Amino acid sequence: MIAGAWLCLLAPLGGALAITLLGESISRRTAAWLSTLSVFTAFAGAVASFAGLLGRGHEEREQVTTAWTWLAAGDFDVGLSLLVDPLSVTMMLIVSGVGGLIVLYSIGYMDGDREERRYFAYMSLFVFSMLLLVQGGNFLLLLVGWGLVGLASYLLIGFWHERPQAVAAAKKAFVMNAFGDATMALAFFVLISQTGTLDFEQAFEGAGGMSQTLVNLVALGLLGGAVAKSAQIPLQTWLPDAMEGPTPVSALIHAATMVTAGVYLIVRAHPIFELAPSIADLAAGLGAITLLVAGLVALVQTDIKRVIAYSTMSQIGYMFLGAGLGAYGNGMFHLLTHAFFKALLFLAAGLVIHHLANEQDIRKMGGLRRAMPRTYVAFLIGSLALVGIPPLSGFFSKDSILASALASGGYGQLLFAAGLAGALLTGIYTFRLLFLVFLGEPSPLVRERDHGHGHGHGEGPWTMTMPVAALTVLAVVGGWIQIAGIWHPFGEWLDPIAVGREHLALVEPSVTQDYVTSVLAVGLGVAGIAVAWMLYGSRKWTVPRLAATQRTLEHKFWFDELYDLVFFKPAVLVSGLFRRGVEEPLIGGSIAGVTFGAREAGGALGEAQTGYLRTYALAIAGAVAVLVVVFITVQ
Amino acid sequence: MHGPDISWYLVVSAILFSIGTAGVLLRRSPLIVLLSLEIMLNSANLALIAFARLHGGHDGQIFALAVMAVAASEVVVGLGLIVAIARKRLDLDVDRLRVLRG
Amino acid sequence: MGNVLVWAIWILAAGGCLVSGLAVITFTNPFYSALALIGNLGSLAVLFLLASAEFLAAAQVLVYAGAVMVMFLFVIAYLGDRSPGSLAGGPSWISLAAIVAAAALLIEVVVVIGLKAGDGLADEATVERAFGSPEEIGRLFLTDHLLAFEITSIVLLIAAVGGVVLGTRSRAEDEEELARARA
Repeated sequence: MIAGAWLCLLAPLGGALAITLLGESISRRTAAWLSTLSVFTAFAGAVASFAGLLGRGHEEREQVTTAWTWLAAGDFDVGLSLLVDPLSVTMMLIVSGVGGLIVLYSIGYMDGDREERRYFAYMSLFVFSMLLLVQGGNFLLLLVGWGLVGLASYLLIGFWHERPQAVAAAKKAFVMNAFGDATMALAFFVLISQTGTLDFEQAFEGAGGMSQTLVNLVALGLLGGAVAKSAQIPLQTWLPDAMEGPTPVSALIHAATMVTAGVYLIVRAHPIFELAPSIADLAAGLGAITLLVAGLVALVQTDIKRVIAYSTMSQIGYMFLGAGLGAYGNGMFHLLTHAFFKALLFLAAGLVIHHLANEQDIRKMGGLRRAMPRTYVAFLIGSLALVGIPPLSGFFSKDSILASALASGGYGQLLFAAGLAGALLTGIYTFRLLFLVFLGEPSPLVRERDHGHGHGHGEGPWTMTMPVAALTVLAVVGGWIQIAGIWHPFGEWLDPIAVGREHLALVEPSVTQDYVTSVLAVGLGVAGIAVAWMLYGSRKWTVPRLAATQRTLEHKFWFDELYDLVFFKPAVLVSGLFRRGVEEPLIGGSIAGVTFGAREAGGALGEAQTGYLRTYALAIAGAVAVLVVVFITVQ
Repeated sequence: MHGPDISWYLVVSAILFSIGTAGVLLRRSPLIVLLSLEIMLNSANLALIAFARLHGGHDGQIFALAVMAVAASEVVVGLGLIVAIARKRLDLDVDRLRVLRG
Repeated sequence: MGNVLVWAIWILAAGGCLVSGLAVITFTNPFYSALALIGNLGSLAVLFLLASAEFLAAAQVLVYAGAVMVMFLFVIAYLGDRSPGSLAGGPSWISLAAIVAAAALLIEVVVVIGLKAGDGLADEATVERAFGSPEEIGRLFLTDHLLAFEITSIVLLIAAVGGVVLGTRSRAEDEEELARARA
């Protein structure tokens, strides 16, 4: 089990290093397969750890393995320790499993790109970083993994670095995540100063003794990091721009794994959040706001990937909602199923983009159902799972969160209403996308591509279609491991990570609440699909022309403009002031002054080279005279 | 001991040295400068001899002999230079020979 | 009685030294300056004798006055009237500074001798008769100071080579000289 954990962590790192060191001596294909194999090896390690944990009793399902002490300063020391417990193993399986499928898909998607090796090295690096994040046995290792995934995200978003938009998007993502990193670091500083440790167990114990304000600060700092990494309001603006990266990157990093790191953090640090209920409520509230805002903005997006990106933002809002209210198991359950169907949607979208030679504007698409029937089926299943139609996976997970919200008192019920509204919106925007892309008459672009390809061409190489097929299956059956009110193997699996109590979840909805929630949610989802059909499928209704609303939605609620005004412009102003006031005169001036001074001094000294023999001799004589005096007096 | 103390020898040496220095610095003909240089070297020799006598050791005399040999070599080269300059039809004036101006 | 004689000779020799030295730097004709230097060297030889450095006195007369000064006189004769000697011209501040520097050096040395080294200069060592004799110097050159001896010989060799190099003239220069003389 321990060996499995180490294998899981180190295999992708080995892959990344191998690709980097071998460089151009291996073919691009070899590099791609090397990366894929490394991630699947990691999956094997994760499975081994999983099996090992299953074999143990309920009480012993947690093991920490420390390689060596990494950092020791006075009383404070941090070890290079991995934690193997149900939560980390769940994340390991998701990251390496879904990650492996996506890296396999990349072999076909990125085929022919000149810098394929770099891509696959980065992908392996990312998988390693994410695994470090979830396997870290203390907050410091978590932070290291946190920062490394941010780095990998930056490198992969800006992969096509000749595109200025990609570079700008990468920078934006990194800077906003850096803000989150900073708040997390501050939280850790408080923890260290109050409890003297960053080890999970000890920190949780020590947190009990901290004052309310300090615990709130720590929780707030952690929440800041989670919000940045998971693209929740108010730090959400980087995620849509991150779609500049290749589609598999969007699938892996910005749907299945990295953006869910925030949820993982809240679940892992749940003792701290439970000590700071106001912050936990804040997390749930932010999740609810995000799921609504994202759902609304997704209604007007015209880029296929951006619709799915906003959908991700919205679904993570659900997870935050669940985690904030104490329904940790349900939040993680939704994380699991979301990884399946969101990756499926992205990869299927990638098949479409690949088929249409990198066209991503859905207004130019239509009627792809005939040309790409299998992709259509995959996309349909993914969309149904996303909306939460039974018996697909999303139904079980999303409704469990909503039921927990309903069971959590007044505030929870308010969030429940928001979640239901979100379900309606989800139905609308998801099927808007499906109908616009796949149904109707083939658009001119589609017809053109068809003629070029010819029929029966196949929708992509097996490296691309196989993962999509696998994820389709998972999106269907993935939810069957937990049926609300009837059997809860997933919930029970996660129970041991609870600190100081038997069951992990803080709320347990009653069976009635479960059923009521399901009926309402599914009903609203179907209603959303119907609305989308009317508007975009059969075109019986037309979209109402609300110019102001339209503009607000298109500008994503003016967040970018607000940040530009509040942060960017003042920063530019201040830095301009500093450049004119400090940099140029003082620093630049001092350097210029040094050179000027040196030249002048040299020139002045050069005056001594008169060429007259006698002046030289005089200088010597004078110097001797002075030296004699010096020697006399010093004696 | 017969005759003056060592300090008198040293005084003579000092005066000779200053005379030589003044000659080097004041005259413009390289020949005269060389001659003044010789005076300075000889004054140093005198001091060395005096101290050898004072301490009863021969080191000063050996040193003075070496100085003499070196002075002779230096005069050879210096005079060679002066002859070469004269052959090039340049003025034998120290103030005019400024090509090595840096 | 012997003391007075020694003193007298010493004063004569020292005076000769100083007067001839002044003569060297003040005469305008280089020929006269060279002759004055010969006198200087001779007086110095006498002083050497009085300080029990017999071999050095002889070497001084033979090498310096005999060889080096002869070389000087040859060159002066060769240069003829191409060697000026006038004192006029040149920056005046240098002259002033030169005198100041020379005077300063003189004063300093005298002060040192007078103040500091006063005690150390009092007792002279007693020496035997063969103190400055050729045998002593020769023996030392071949035993204790062998290195100095060898290096000095190398220096002389270098000077000889330098003299030859500076002195040779190429064929072209020779023709040029001849042509100019004919014209």
